[in-house]
Amino acid sequence: MASVRQGGIPSRRGAEPGAPARRGAAEQGKSPDGGARRSLPHRIRKKFRVFSVRSGLDMPFLFLVLVLLVTGLVMMFSSSYAYAYYNYGDSYYFILRQAVYAAIGVTIMLAVSYFDYHHLHKFAIPALMVSFILLGAVLALPASDGVHRWIDLGFINFQPSEITKFAIILSFAHLISLNFKRMDTFRYGVLPYLLILGATCALLVLEPHISATVIVILLGGVMLFIGGVKFRWFGAAAALAVAAVLYLVVFTQEFTYANNRLEAWLDPFNVEIRDLTWQTRQSMMAIGSGGLLGLGLGQSRQKYLYLPEPQNDFIFAIVCEELGFIGALIIILLFVLLVWRGVTISLKAKDKFGMLLGVGLTLQVGIQVVLNIAVVTNTIPNTGISLPFFSSGGTSLIMLLAQMGVVLSISRTSAIDKT
Amino acid sequence: MAKGTTVRMWRRTLFILLVLTVVGFGAVIISLVKLQLIEGESLQRRAVDQQLSDSTITAQRGTIYDCNMTPLAQSATVWTVVLEPSYIEDEETRDTIVTGLAGILGMEESEVRAHAEKDNAYEVLARKVETEVKDAILAFKEEKEIGSGIRLIEDYKRYYPFGSFAAAVLGFTGDDNQGLAGLEAQYDEELSGVAGRLVTAKNAIGTDMPFQYEQKVDAQDGYSLVLSIDRVVQHFLEKNLEEGIVNNQVQNRAAGIVMDVNTGEILAMAVKGDYDPNDPFTITDPAVAASIENLPEEQRSAARVEALEAQWRNKAVSDTYYPGSVFKICTGSMGLEEGVITTQSTFTCTGAANVMGTTIRCHKLAGHGTQTFVQGLCNSCNPFFIHIGDLLGPDLFFEYFEGFGFTERTGIDLPGESGSLYYTAEELNPVELATESFGQNFSITPIQMITACAAVANGGYIVQPHVVSQIIDSDGNIVETVETSVKRQVISEETSETMCEIMQQNATTGTAKNGYIPGYRVAGKTGTSEKIAEKNETGEEEYIASYCGFAPADDPQIAMLIFFDEPHGESYYGSAVAGPVWAKTMEEILPYLGVERKYTESELQKLDVTAPQVTGESVEEAKRILQAEGLEAEVIGEGSTVLAQIPEYGASIPQEGTVVLYTDEASASRTVTVPNFNGLTLAQANAAAAEAGVNLSVTGAALTTGSAAQASTQDIAAGTAVSPGTVVTVQFIERDQVE
Repeated sequence: MASVRQGGIPSRRGAEPGAPARRGAAEQGKSPDGGARRSLPHRIRKKFRVFSVRSGLDMPFLFLVLVLLVTGLVMMFSSSYAYAYYNYGDSYYFILRQAVYAAIGVTIMLAVSYFDYHHLHKFAIPALMVSFILLGAVLALPASDGVHRWIDLGFINFQPSEITKFAIILSFAHLISLNFKRMDTFRYGVLPYLLILGATCALLVLEPHISATVIVILLGGVMLFIGGVKFRWFGAAAALAVAAVLYLVVFTQEFTYANNRLEAWLDPFNVEIRDLTWQTRQSMMAIGSGGLLGLGLGQSRQKYLYLPEPQNDFIFAIVCEELGFIGALIIILLFVLLVWRGVTISLKAKDKFGMLLGVGLTLQVGIQVVLNIAVVTNTIPNTGISLPFFSSGGTSLIMLLAQMGVVLSISRTSAIDKT
Repeated sequence: MAKGTTVRMWRRTLFILLVLTVVGFGAVIISLVKLQLIEGESLQRRAVDQQLSDSTITAQRGTIYDCNMTPLAQSATVWTVVLEPSYIEDEETRDTIVTGLAGILGMEESEVRAHAEKDNAYEVLARKVETEVKDAILAFKEEKEIGSGIRLIEDYKRYYPFGSFAAAVLGFTGDDNQGLAGLEAQYDEELSGVAGRLVTAKNAIGTDMPFQYEQKVDAQDGYSLVLSIDRVVQHFLEKNLEEGIVNNQVQNRAAGIVMDVNTGEILAMAVKGDYDPNDPFTITDPAVAASIENLPEEQRSAARVEALEAQWRNKAVSDTYYPGSVFKICTGSMGLEEGVITTQSTFTCTGAANVMGTTIRCHKLAGHGTQTFVQGLCNSCNPFFIHIGDLLGPDLFFEYFEGFGFTERTGIDLPGESGSLYYTAEELNPVELATESFGQNFSITPIQMITACAAVANGGYIVQPHVVSQIIDSDGNIVETVETSVKRQVISEETSETMCEIMQQNATTGTAKNGYIPGYRVAGKTGTSEKIAEKNETGEEEYIASYCGFAPADDPQIAMLIFFDEPHGESYYGSAVAGPVWAKTMEEILPYLGVERKYTESELQKLDVTAPQVTGESVEEAKRILQAEGLEAEVIGEGSTVLAQIPEYGASIPQEGTVVLYTDEASASRTVTVPNFNGLTLAQANAAAAEAGVNLSVTGAALTTGSAAQASTQDIAAGTAVSPGTVVTVQFIERDQVE
């Protein structure tokens, strides 16, 4: 079937999804199935070997990851050096750290790609537990800037929500793949997930961390949707969400934190709330300054302390300012390709766990990118979402690269043309 | 279906992928299109606005010079002290800055602190501080190592070195160096120049960004104005106007214009009761300021505004008045030009004229009797001019009225010129025509009147009056020269010449003789105008006393109009109030302008001579010398040699005056008391002077024919102790001269 190479959607219609994958893998002679012909001790050894996957990884995906990572580093350097200079007296403050983290991350990514992701089944529930523990712990820790989001271990400073996102994806992939046939039932298809999501979101809202909550709900929802949960549950959830939001916005003042952000969102140039919208306005000015072709790499002016912390969540504004609409479009295209490739890899994963895990991890990147750019462009209200591969932050970069490693690991056994 | 992806998963995944791509990435791409491509420019402008620190380089405002390049208004560098609170490094620095600047600028610390604690990057702390203060601030910054937070911006301050001198013409400027009145307003564009800009890129804390961006557009300094105003002439005019205001208790200011009749150049223009353009917002008149202070709070600001506007007002171009009898020179010119009268035409004045049943009285109720036109003008006889108006008829009268420029603004290069109020030919019914014929019932500005008078003098040409003669750039190159512009000829040269002769006669023997200056053939006409509008409003009779004339009558050079608004002294008539001031001013101006005196025989007889040198001579020899000069000698003391003389050698002394010779030291301390000459006739004054032992020098009307002249002002106050023989100059005017 010529469709193997094409990987095109139309040609697959009606075909049994599993079959081409097996054949494609066989063509390369690296299928794990090929191991069935080998001796028993070999098979046992293989079963317990951690880095058991020797098949080739998906080069396009790896290439996209590395291109985005390098681009991200370059842009991170460009956008951070003024801030670093004025605040740390060293223009290289952020880039040096980020480069080290990137190197560690890539190493981990490659290592993980050799790691048979099936072992992750065993980590699914523990990961979820760790997530809950950390979310609980962070609430007990003192707040910084009025929110409980960070855990500072001295040598490392990280957001438990990063763990949570991965834990949700992993545990959902684990549970859905196990209960796949019963996903249309309430008891197995909805209730456990509802409980997990509900508890997680409750803890996140307490931090409060709206952006993480949104991402977790979106990710969980997407995985359940793909996993086969009936449409009506989504309808009900959507209706409930709308009702809740309306209630909060219209009838309570409790959500002032979000309310102010809404106001700031609708009219960022309103002078009365100029302090609140400073970041958004500066971001929009930076983006607007870029125009079609941009001011040129390194030529951003908004990074000179106008845009606060330009190396973090708002880095894309500097990207737009320096590289222009064309540059921004190319980077968005790279992300789209990454998501597309990741999803394609996952769709051809040899099992449902791999498929769900891969789709979840890839879509997590896609959703974050969309939300981040939407925030930066003031398409949605300002909330803290970092841009994968670009925003400064060591642990999240390492986490991200490790997760990309998982996708690469899936790609090794995926029935896809990997060149 | 084994372990792999099911069709439903496949479909749902693709659906999600589709949603993410189309809705998610689609939305952000649309946002980017909107922000970068559609709103890009305006957002970029906002960004640039905050990134670029755009400092204005103020252009130096041009200087205003008089005709001899004496600066009358000039700009000097001063500084604006600006605080940049958002760029102040820390609280400690903030405290240092507050204390330091409060000390240097002499401000309250709390006031400085209020500025320093604002969340702002531009707080003006003090404007127009002098360079010494700026240097002090710079030294302070250096000493305390203050990097950012204080900015000093160069600015200019306008100085008027002569204070209130020519204030009405010069005007003044506001805080931003913008012209607000007078020439400063009229020529604001020329004087201002073009401000330059210095654009540098700044980061959010106000220091320069490392990337190269600096653009400098140099300021183009303003042009300077060279006026036709002559500082000296202006000084004479202002000095005498001020004196006239005091002598005549003038209530509503005075104005004067001196104009070159041939070119229209204004040599002087003054309004007294004016202000100091260095400090225009202070009410100059202490009485007015005090009365405003006494007003209730809510009326105070309105009263202040009114008082300020009054003191800023250039009466010479902005006030309108009934010209009164001064206008008769125009009516007379019309009559002669049209040939309806000749100089010898006669008319009998019975003291009143009856026009269509309305009786219009002459100022001389008994009537002037039968008189020629020349006598009629010298008498300022109203019925005679009503007669001329009648002979001309409304159409011809109005044609000349227009011709003399009374229906249009003169277009002088000063702001706020008023238009006139008049009847058109169609509206001129006989009564209006009759009253307009002798200068009542229509309102014109002084500048219109003097322009018409200049036309009578210069051969009939209406010239464009102007104050600025040249515009030069900052390097002294001429940008524009204002040429003499003749608008039209309204009467013939012959008529003009005839009028000059009649007016000279008028100023010598007629009603205008208070304007007489021996040796100068002056031509003049008096005017007394009722302020009808004020009378209607308040019931008080108020007058404007004016005198308009020119000199020399045989070759007219300069015209002058003097105008006193509401004199409350002994007289309110133009002849008595404005005439002497006119004469005094003209007598100073003409020699300055190099117009030579030409005395007539009779004038020579009355002329003062200079005292010869007799000090050091023997008494006998001194007496001989003095006798030869036709002077008397009075010897004081017992000595035989003249030790001192009064008047001193070279000082002027009336013909047949007495020189006092001191022959010993003791006698030198003797003094006499100056008598009060006010109201005395010439003969009485001479007697009083002789009795007191002083010499009397006579100016004014007493030098011409007639015996009605009375002493008015004297240069040494009555009661002053002076050495015997001191010359006291007394001005004589004819008080009973009406009109």
